[in-house]
Amino acid sequence: MKVDIQSLETFNQLAHEGAEQATASMTQMTGIDAIVDVTKISLVNRADVGEELDTQEFVGVQFDYTGELAGETVLVFDRDCSESMIEALLGGASSEEMARSGVKEIGNIMMSGFIDGWADYLGTTIDHSPPTYIEGVGPDVLPDAPEGDEDDHIFVFKSQIEWMDESLEFYIYMLPEYEPLADVMSEHADTEDDAIPIDKLEVFNEMTMRGTETAAENVTMMTGIETEAEVSQISFAPITDVPKQVGNETYVGTVVEFTGVPSGFMMVLFDETSAKNVAEAMMPVEVEGEGLTEQHKMAIEELGNIMTSGFVDGWANVLQTSVDHTPPRLVHDMGRAIIDPLAAQVGQQQEHAFIIDSTMQTDDIEFEAEIHALPNEQQLREALDELMVERADETDADPEEIFQK
Amino acid sequence: MPEVLIADDSEFMRNLLREILEEDHQIVGEVENGVEAVETYKEKRPDLVMMDIVMPIRDGIEATDEIKNSDPSANVIMCTSVGQEEKMKEAVKAGADGYITKPFQKPSVMEAIEDVVPS
Repeated sequence: MKVDIQSLETFNQLAHEGAEQATASMTQMTGIDAIVDVTKISLVNRADVGEELDTQEFVGVQFDYTGELAGETVLVFDRDCSESMIEALLGGASSEEMARSGVKEIGNIMMSGFIDGWADYLGTTIDHSPPTYIEGVGPDVLPDAPEGDEDDHIFVFKSQIEWMDESLEFYIYMLPEYEPLADVMSEHADTEDDAIPIDKLEVFNEMTMRGTETAAENVTMMTGIETEAEVSQISFAPITDVPKQVGNETYVGTVVEFTGVPSGFMMVLFDETSAKNVAEAMMPVEVEGEGLTEQHKMAIEELGNIMTSGFVDGWANVLQTSVDHTPPRLVHDMGRAIIDPLAAQVGQQQEHAFIIDSTMQTDDIEFEAEIHALPNEQQLREALDELMVERADETDADPEEIFQK
Repeated sequence: MPEVLIADDSEFMRNLLREILEEDHQIVGEVENGVEAVETYKEKRPDLVMMDIVMPIRDGIEATDEIKNSDPSANVIMCTSVGQEEKMKEAVKAGADGYITKPFQKPSVMEAIEDVVPS
């Protein structure tokens, strides 16, 4: 089964317009100005959906829908956001029951607009269930994967909406059942020229997860900090939205350009505390001085280099090619400022982009690392064309074996 | 003591290699790119070169090729984060005598050196 780039663009646009419609409904009801910040389609392991929700407390509504597309849609607000919204809607203090009812009603109106857009595009009807009120912490607020499907890949449409005057966000997740969505995507494919086989995209995602595991093992070996790969996903979004994926926090890390098949850019990013912690764990002696010293930065540069190799080597070995990369360039800036020039460069050739995101973390100390890859679409398609699924496990190469030949 | 040239664009990695090697080896030079590696090799003729692959100006495989062309008896161990089979084959073709992938620990470095320059 294949999906073409044009369909992905169209479906992403549909989800984005649906989110805008939902947001407009909310603004009309509450007077609160909000904008849809990012809408992206991600191919992700079912068990990892919603990892980015972290440990915040959320409330929201969930719907089941059936028809040409079937699945679940979820609208979640962080609790503070929902309280402000209910206050705006009901004009003051309200009972818990009334607040729940308010959330359900706002959610119902917002999501009807969201789903109707899909039905109109597909020229069919999509029925949805009455809203169910949900609450929970982090990803637990989202519906559980059906038993036995936890390790399956699914496409998730996620919109992130920001209030204009407050640092509050809410999210719309659309979790369509895989087969009906793949069928719809295939039916609406405009051209075979830029089609991507979905099974290869899944395999590529699995290879990326193994690359993340290798990068995490490298961190452990260099620092003694037990580090685990957390999540790996491939997303598709308009190039203009790519910088928004990384956020406004300040990061320290490395950027490299890789060439070959695939080609593009890769970033290894640490928040400032993580960067300091991991750099100090790499050093044999205690470092004097406040903040990030030159020694910290040198250590981060080398760690970024080794993590990058750990990440891309598996692609090269499976594809039986070589992927060269430039020496790492140290970056220390806001996330969006780091990725913006890279997205602009990739955007000279394409309007949408695939983004590969991985995270790793540890329980030992405060440490979290993100790896983001921004491949050129054309080369990624070539890589997927050449990918032999049966070689997907051949990510490692043994120098001793090669040097003995 | 065997003389060693370290070629790596990362100061952190040069420091680490120096700490591992200086007890049993004499470090005759530390350089940051392939051009400097070739020049310093020709000037000092060390017993061993520890050569990174990804370096600015000229990469380690090209530098190894040039060193081996000028002195086939040169001993070069690639010391790199790159773990790609095709790169390893390119290193063999350029004449590299050994290959260590980063991150490494002292025993694996010493073992690789012993294979190439037995004590």
